[in-house]
Amino acid sequence: MISRRDFVKGGVALVSIGTTANSLLKGTLAFAAQHPADQITPNNGKILILVQMAGGNDGLNTVIPAGDPIYHSVRKAIGVADNDVLPLAQGFGLHPGLTGLKGLWDGGKLAVIRGVGYPDQNYSHFKSMAIWQAGDPDLKLQDGWLGRTLDKLETQSHDPFLGFNIGGSTPPEMQIATVAVPSVQSPADYGFKVNGRNAPASDPRIGTLMKLYEQYPAQSPYGVLLETTLESATSSASQLVAAAGSYKPAATYPKTSFGAGLSVLAEAIVGNLGMRVGHITLGGFDTHSKEVADHAKLMETLDQGLTAFYQDLAAQGRANDVLVLTWSEFGRRVQENANGGTDHGSASVMFALGSGVQTGFYGDQPSLSKLIDNGNLSFTTDFRQVYATVIERWLGTPSAPLLGKQWDQLGFIPAA
Amino acid sequence: MGTALADPNRFLERTTSRRTILTGTAALAAAGAATVAGIAAESRGSSGRPGNGPKLSDLVAGSASKVDPNAVIADPTWRAAHLLRRAGFGGTAAEIDEFAGLSREDAADRLLNYDAVDNSALDARIAAANFNLNYSTKGGTALDMQRWWLTRMAYTARPLQERMTLIWHGLLTSQLSKVGAQFARLMVAQNELYRSNALAQYDALIQAVSKDPAMLYYLDNIDSTKAHPNENYARELMELFTLGVGNYSEQDIRESARAFTGWRITPRPNTGDLEKDLASWNPQFVLAAAQHDSGVKTFLGHTGNLDGTDIVDIIMQQPAAGRFITTRLFKEFANYDPAPATIDRLVGVWDSSGHSIKAIVRAILVSDEFYSLQSYRGFVRSPVELIVGAVRGLQIETDFAPVASQEFRTMNQALFEPPNVAGWPGGDSWLSSSTLFARANFLDVFLFPRGRPAALPALASAASADTLVDTTLKTIVDANVPDATRQALIDYASTIADPALRAAAVAYLVLAGPEFQLI
Repeated sequence: MISRRDFVKGGVALVSIGTTANSLLKGTLAFAAQHPADQITPNNGKILILVQMAGGNDGLNTVIPAGDPIYHSVRKAIGVADNDVLPLAQGFGLHPGLTGLKGLWDGGKLAVIRGVGYPDQNYSHFKSMAIWQAGDPDLKLQDGWLGRTLDKLETQSHDPFLGFNIGGSTPPEMQIATVAVPSVQSPADYGFKVNGRNAPASDPRIGTLMKLYEQYPAQSPYGVLLETTLESATSSASQLVAAAGSYKPAATYPKTSFGAGLSVLAEAIVGNLGMRVGHITLGGFDTHSKEVADHAKLMETLDQGLTAFYQDLAAQGRANDVLVLTWSEFGRRVQENANGGTDHGSASVMFALGSGVQTGFYGDQPSLSKLIDNGNLSFTTDFRQVYATVIERWLGTPSAPLLGKQWDQLGFIPAA
Repeated sequence: MGTALADPNRFLERTTSRRTILTGTAALAAAGAATVAGIAAESRGSSGRPGNGPKLSDLVAGSASKVDPNAVIADPTWRAAHLLRRAGFGGTAAEIDEFAGLSREDAADRLLNYDAVDNSALDARIAAANFNLNYSTKGGTALDMQRWWLTRMAYTARPLQERMTLIWHGLLTSQLSKVGAQFARLMVAQNELYRSNALAQYDALIQAVSKDPAMLYYLDNIDSTKAHPNENYARELMELFTLGVGNYSEQDIRESARAFTGWRITPRPNTGDLEKDLASWNPQFVLAAAQHDSGVKTFLGHTGNLDGTDIVDIIMQQPAAGRFITTRLFKEFANYDPAPATIDRLVGVWDSSGHSIKAIVRAILVSDEFYSLQSYRGFVRSPVELIVGAVRGLQIETDFAPVASQEFRTMNQALFEPPNVAGWPGGDSWLSSSTLFARANFLDVFLFPRGRPAALPALASAASADTLVDTTLKTIVDANVPDATRQALIDYASTIADPALRAAAVAYLVLAGPEFQLI
């Protein structure tokens, strides 16, 4: 299998063949030439699923400091009543919609990372997302943090599913020139059709189309992107069809697009497609108004999806291999606004879920009485500590080269 | 709920494109060393120029071609086709030939001075189509809104006006799903606002959009009160519409949010017939004095009893505003990497023209940068550009009903429903394995409805396989493809006897092929 790396790092002789059988050989040769065996990260079989909660999730209404009287005084309209909070420990509890996660906490499968943020919080969605996606508040590191990680994790087999995204376009954190990440939005439509029907590999119209991409010179505008995206699409599509044939969900996924997407990720895991990093997004967390109803629905969607995903993997015997990590670009303002919502805030919570997780709280809860920036939480835990923990202790590759320095790691994944 | 940040794939201020990274690096590898003049490998953050769009004919595998990214496209036909693609959505073969004979200035003015252009054929077509642009309990409005606008783009005699409307929709964006399906009419009104102000003074456009009913709903200003100002509009006004991050403080956001409190619209009629009431509603801006904070505010160094209009005026006096909008327009029309001197020049136009969008767009459309090899095929084509470009180029008759298909939706550009308040991220994000399949499969649906070939008037007279392929390539991709591509198309076309099937098959291949995915 030829990879994007071969196009980028190989010479032109290696990029002119494309998707024919010949490219398999040339891709392998090119990879070997660039990768002395001692520089390849051994595949430890561990898989990370990153869940983006886009829009800025209200951490205070997700993991609720029910024991803190200030919480109730600043959240008179949208605060969760003590009686409704699902208790965890230390006066903290989960939003009442997170019943499945509460069960996983009780079963020792869920860790909560509190007060996660970074210095000089940026309150713009897009800037803050870019910071998390790059893994760098200065935005000086190249590419996405998972893109850099995938580059290290790639092996000679060039699994097209090494990184796998549910959605329409490659998320910025997975972007890097050397690794193509397939995106699947609608599995039924993932493949070429001719006259409305799935095209067999031998279809002459599709065969000609493939030729046009192979012949498009790599040096021409977007040449590598176009050819490697097509290559990634066709090779991943045939593997996905094979995996779908042998996968039977062992849990009932909720009828949400989030649930459907998670089941495709489970299919890739159970089908042994070589995935090391999966990505899925749940959007709608920008709750400037009507937060009580909208946030409850989001919590329920998140909870039902992740719970089914965990149950499915556990039943398939793969729960030990998979870590789910959630993130959001920021939390919300401590004081609610007049529209039953909250404006942009700072530190928030992350969940780490899986059989390999050491349950408990990590990171201190920011004080509700010592606010910064006109009413926002002061972060206690740098998000790069979380990234470093996951890169090093879970995916098994050194984190300092990927994050620019060695960060203290957290105990939600036990040290080897 | 706030803005539905569903798929925020975006690196703010890290806009160096994949095109740059990959073409630059691959070309460097091809040459073996940095001998490729002008295609020096670009690293993000360096001040070097990025990789360019060399003519395919210049590129022979293994050779170290010498292409200057700043060189102007040599072929007048390519220049004309490039202008028609970027300033509109693509031309017919006849339009390309006609524009090829014009000076840059005449060509730009032909597109810019559209008020004088008769558009009655479009008006008649729209009237006959009878799209439902009002809320209906039976549904279907969102789809008809898309078909209505695509029809306008495809058949307008004023393509730059529709192009600008799309640019404003992507920049000063609102989402039907957040505004509310019942308020579809407000989204259409916002679209008409952008169309009628497409080349207006930017101050006037921003003043108008600040009071636009759909925008008031979309960014929550409709509920903002003196007691608890909602910051959503104030923040996005500065961050996304006018200044960009770093040119205001969080305190400026809080103060300006106070200035926009109490901004409301007239209520809709209430006769008990919801559909009728919504259809007859023509809301006007009103100030609800009791909810407006008339106290003293300090905003970007100005102190006084400022209201939202004052806020917009102050914003427009900031040097950052001119830089912001000229940079944005340059990146919409020309390429992603304007040189500082280019922006300085455009800011000069902003200042001297009294913030005229028309003057800025004209300056871009006649510039060397716009016609440079770096700009040629320098963008990934959006789904809307894909379908409208196909319809215009091949002169296809369609009512755009196929946009209801799953294949169209999976391309990920539903008009009136951008992913979030930043609009469509565009660029590389249009292309993924998922969308590449969707593009090809949408073209299959579009060109082979129910398995039968669609009528393609622009290709009807092509008798032989060679003529068919050459006509298609010339109309759609400037006949600028590798020889082997032309040959592969001829070889395949020669296997199909039926002329209509053959034409649709060749059109499919050229429209789904690599060159047409760029614009």
